[in-house]
Amino acid sequence: MNYIVALFLGVFFGFALNKAGLTKYNKIVNVFRFTDMAVLQFMMTALVVSMSGLYLLRGLGWVTFPSVPATYIVGNLVGGLIFGVGMALSGYCPGTCAAGAGEGKLDYIVPGLLGFLVGAVIYGLTYEAVFPAISAIANYGNVVMPDLWNLDPFLTVTTFALMSFLLFYLIDRAGWQRKEKSE
Amino acid sequence: MKAIFNYIHKEVWSPYLAGILLGLVGIAAVWISNSLLGASGAFENIAGLIGKAVAPAAFDNMYFNFIMPPGITTSVILVVGIFFGGMIGAATSGTLKWGQKDSANSDEQWKRIFGASTAKRWGIAFIGAIILEYAAGIAGGCTSGLAISGGMLLAPAAYLFIAGMFASGIVTALVIYGKRY
Repeated sequence: MNYIVALFLGVFFGFALNKAGLTKYNKIVNVFRFTDMAVLQFMMTALVVSMSGLYLLRGLGWVTFPSVPATYIVGNLVGGLIFGVGMALSGYCPGTCAAGAGEGKLDYIVPGLLGFLVGAVIYGLTYEAVFPAISAIANYGNVVMPDLWNLDPFLTVTTFALMSFLLFYLIDRAGWQRKEKSE
Repeated sequence: MKAIFNYIHKEVWSPYLAGILLGLVGIAAVWISNSLLGASGAFENIAGLIGKAVAPAAFDNMYFNFIMPPGITTSVILVVGIFFGGMIGAATSGTLKWGQKDSANSDEQWKRIFGASTAKRWGIAFIGAIILEYAAGIAGGCTSGLAISGGMLLAPAAYLFIAGMFASGIVTALVIYGKRY
C-alpha cells in the first residue's frame, strides 16, 4: 500500500466511522447494553458488502486475497475477551479513537492516543513472553472458513448475508432493542 | 440532489449506509493495493519509533526489531487518514469539538452516569485504551484489522474475536452500570 492510497482509504474509513456515530462513547457502550445496536448493524453491513464483493472479485479472478489474519483459537478469543473490557470502559477502539481525535475531542486525543501508545509499549516489551506461547495453541494458520471446512465459498457468503438480514430484521422491525431506562 | 446534500450534512447516518461505505473501503484496500485495513498496528510502529529514540537498549528486542519495526508505515498514514476522515465527517455536520469547552468530557451519557469529572473520564479511558491495544496485540488485530478485515475474508479468527469482544463487553457494561444497565 502506498502512502497516497493509505491516506485516502483512511479518510473514507474515518468518515464512515464518524457518520455511523461510532466516534461517540454512548454508541459503543450501548451495543453492550442492548439499547442501541448501531455498532452491530454497521459492522455486519460492512462485512456483508466487503465479503460479497471480495469473494465475487476473486471468483472472477480479478483479485487475490492478501495474507489472511491467523487463526489461533485461544489467542483470538482471549484477545477478544480482553478487548471488550477496554471497549466498554473507554467507549472506543483504536480506529474510532483516531477518528474521534480528528473531531477535536480531548477525551479521545489525550487518554486515548496516549493509552494506545502505552499499551503498544507494554505489548512490545512483553511480546516474547506472551505471544509465541498463546499463538501456538490450536493454531490453524492463515485460513478462511470455506477452505478449513471445505465449504462452497459462495454458499457461505450467501448464508452469512441471509443471517445478517435476519438479524437486521429482528433489530429494526421486530424491535429487538431494549428501551433506554428513563432516568 | 438537495436531498443527498442534506443527508451528507446529517450528524449520524443510518448504520447500514455507513456500513456499506466501510465495506467498499475494505474492498478497495484489497483491490487497489492487496492489503487490509487496520488501526492498532500503527500505534506499535509509533511506540517503537519513540521507544528506540528514548531508550534504545530496552526497545532492542525481537518485537521492535523484526515483528513490528518502527517507522512511519502505511498503517500510520492510514490512521492519519482516519483522523482527517473523522474531522471531515464532523465538519459536514457542524459538530467539530476543537477548542470547545465540552470536548474534554464529550459524552452526555457518560456525564449522566459517571459525573462531570474530566479526571475520572480520562483515567478510565486511559486504562481502557491500554487494555485495547494490548488485547489487539494478543488477538492479532483490533476491530478494523481483525474483526472487519479478517471477517470479510471469512477468517475464523475474526469471529472468535468478535464473540469474545461482545461477551466481555456485555459483562463489563453490566458491572460498571450496575443498577443503571
